[in-house]
Amino acid sequence: MRRTNWLLRRACAGLLVSALGFFAHRAPAAVSGEVVIGVIQALSGPNAQQGINAQRGTELAAEAINERGGVRALGGAKIRLITSDVPTPNTAAEVTQRLISQNNVSAMIGTVNSATTLAASEVTERGGIPLVTFAFADQITERGYKYIFAVSPKGSTFGEAQLNYTIAIARAAGENITKIGILYEDTAYGSAQAKGLRLAAAKTGVQIVMDEAYPQGITDVTPLVNKLRASGAQIAFPVSYLNDSLLIIRSMRQQQLNTPVVGGAAGYVLPDFRKGLGDLAEGILSVAAANSDLMPDFAAKYEAKYGTFITHDSLMHAAALDSVVQAIERAKSSDPEKVRDALATLDYCGGFAKGVPGGCVKFDATGRNASAFPVMVQWHGDRPVTVYPPQAAKQKAIWRGKPTS
Amino acid sequence: MTQALIDGILLGGVYAVIALGLSLVYGVVGIVNFAHGAFLMLGMYVSWFAWRHLGLDPLAGSVLSFGAVFVLGYLVQRALINRVLAAPPAAQIFLTVGLLIAMENGALLLFGSDFRSVSVPYQLQGYQIGGIFLSAPYLYAFISAIALGGVLELYLARSWTGRAIRAVAQDPMAATLAGVDIRRTYARAFGLGVALTAFGGGIILPYITVSPTIGGQYVVLMFTAVVLGGLGSVRGALVGGLAVGIIQSLSALLFSIQLENLCLFVIFITVLSLRPQGIVKGM
Repeated sequence: MRRTNWLLRRACAGLLVSALGFFAHRAPAAVSGEVVIGVIQALSGPNAQQGINAQRGTELAAEAINERGGVRALGGAKIRLITSDVPTPNTAAEVTQRLISQNNVSAMIGTVNSATTLAASEVTERGGIPLVTFAFADQITERGYKYIFAVSPKGSTFGEAQLNYTIAIARAAGENITKIGILYEDTAYGSAQAKGLRLAAAKTGVQIVMDEAYPQGITDVTPLVNKLRASGAQIAFPVSYLNDSLLIIRSMRQQQLNTPVVGGAAGYVLPDFRKGLGDLAEGILSVAAANSDLMPDFAAKYEAKYGTFITHDSLMHAAALDSVVQAIERAKSSDPEKVRDALATLDYCGGFAKGVPGGCVKFDATGRNASAFPVMVQWHGDRPVTVYPPQAAKQKAIWRGKPTS
Repeated sequence: MTQALIDGILLGGVYAVIALGLSLVYGVVGIVNFAHGAFLMLGMYVSWFAWRHLGLDPLAGSVLSFGAVFVLGYLVQRALINRVLAAPPAAQIFLTVGLLIAMENGALLLFGSDFRSVSVPYQLQGYQIGGIFLSAPYLYAFISAIALGGVLELYLARSWTGRAIRAVAQDPMAATLAGVDIRRTYARAFGLGVALTAFGGGIILPYITVSPTIGGQYVVLMFTAVVLGGLGSVRGALVGGLAVGIIQSLSALLFSIQLENLCLFVIFITVLSLRPQGIVKGM
């Protein structure tokens, strides 16, 4: 009697476990009438602010696309986003793999962080899933991968713009720039953009009197500020994420160093930048991939829902999602291979692509959006305003406290 | 150069108070506490919450950190550390490393992995004396650290419990014979040690952002400071802390900032190979 009981219990347990296992491992088939798109972003950790902005932009765009009829070529199929948190590059490969194997995604979107995107894209490349990213680093599209697409220009392009736009603005105010200092965080993003700054400096004959990389998680920037002061640079060009950007501006103020700063996007255009610095943020310039004033209606909707102004992370991710949807429309299929091929030949200038400076999403042979260009923004009040180049500017730049002509 | 030296001293003063706690724990209780960095992190969080919900300036909040972490340390020692005092060192290491993992992940669960920082008026201020700039948050942290160091020195020298701690460090058997309650003294010393480090965490909050893993960045510096100065010596921790701060600051001036820790460790290894007991001989 006891023995049978024991055996019976073991057998039931075994059956239960294998049944659970069977259900757990089977990837849920896409419900017909919907298209599944995977999203990977940093929703916690040091890049959380940018990741959350990006995810919100993606979700709002998905809502809008579903409202306007979903994917018409697939009978009005609705977009369904599946989001995974990737706080650091270390976990990117594992998280991406899990997302792909547990869901039938047609494409993936993300991330904001270059190092994380590099890691995740190796998985998507192997898995044959197209990944559309916003991250800047040149390396992302220079590996000969076929499944990676970037909606924004290269990091080095941002770097060149960071310097060239500044030279133009300063010249309009009557100042010649001859000596600059660059300081950048040393992962893929900062290094790529610093390369662009050096290229532009070489081409325009500007002397770089300070050129310092710093570790990404830096906690004390006093040595950097000391070096900046000692170098005699006219303008400082930092490339930083949020924490380091706050540290740098605060330290400069503490050490009473008033060298003008032109930021390299990332930390320098976030709402938390303003929150952390208060009035100190006023007048600070930075390059950016896009800005709220380039798509006012969507920006207003975003702000009404989330309470802060829309950042370039949100705008560019909305464009990324819309590009994927357009690719699905043209391919008339949600199969990742066909979506990839449609993305490679995409030339889309409507919908959310209008939020990209240049107004279009058109990927070149390496996967870069060749029609996009960086903009220069300046903090006024509680948000950045686009001030350069003229075809995108909403206001004239203010240089050293005085409006430029 | 002088600027870098001054910056190094300001930084070093804080490292000293943090290292002091570690040195106290080793010198009195006799174990190497690998979880010490996690107590630093706790101190920072207590201060942060005090700032966020009570509006307390982190410098005042640090006192709260001190108190709260002292109580926690006392309990941890009585409940956990006491059990492995007679065990082989491997067991002690396992315990403190396990404690570290539990605390860090507990914090991760409770507080999330987001970075938090405070915003206080003097964050953006600095003083200029001659050609030297003194940034306000660093200066205030330094002053607080030195003040606490002074209070500790007095406590250990004058008060009965303080002298009891020193007695136990010298010779536990003799101390028992003199009427000292060893258990309670160990608990007090451990509590005091982690409380000191927690205080150090609170006072650097104006210029450091806190996250559950912040302890890891300071653990290596702490141990370097303590061993460089001389394990078990309070004065050694002070010397070690200042030395670490100055070396970091000067090397960042001469080399790329990414190499600042490399310089530190090269000097550390050199000093240890020439003088293994540290710069200041042990108690």
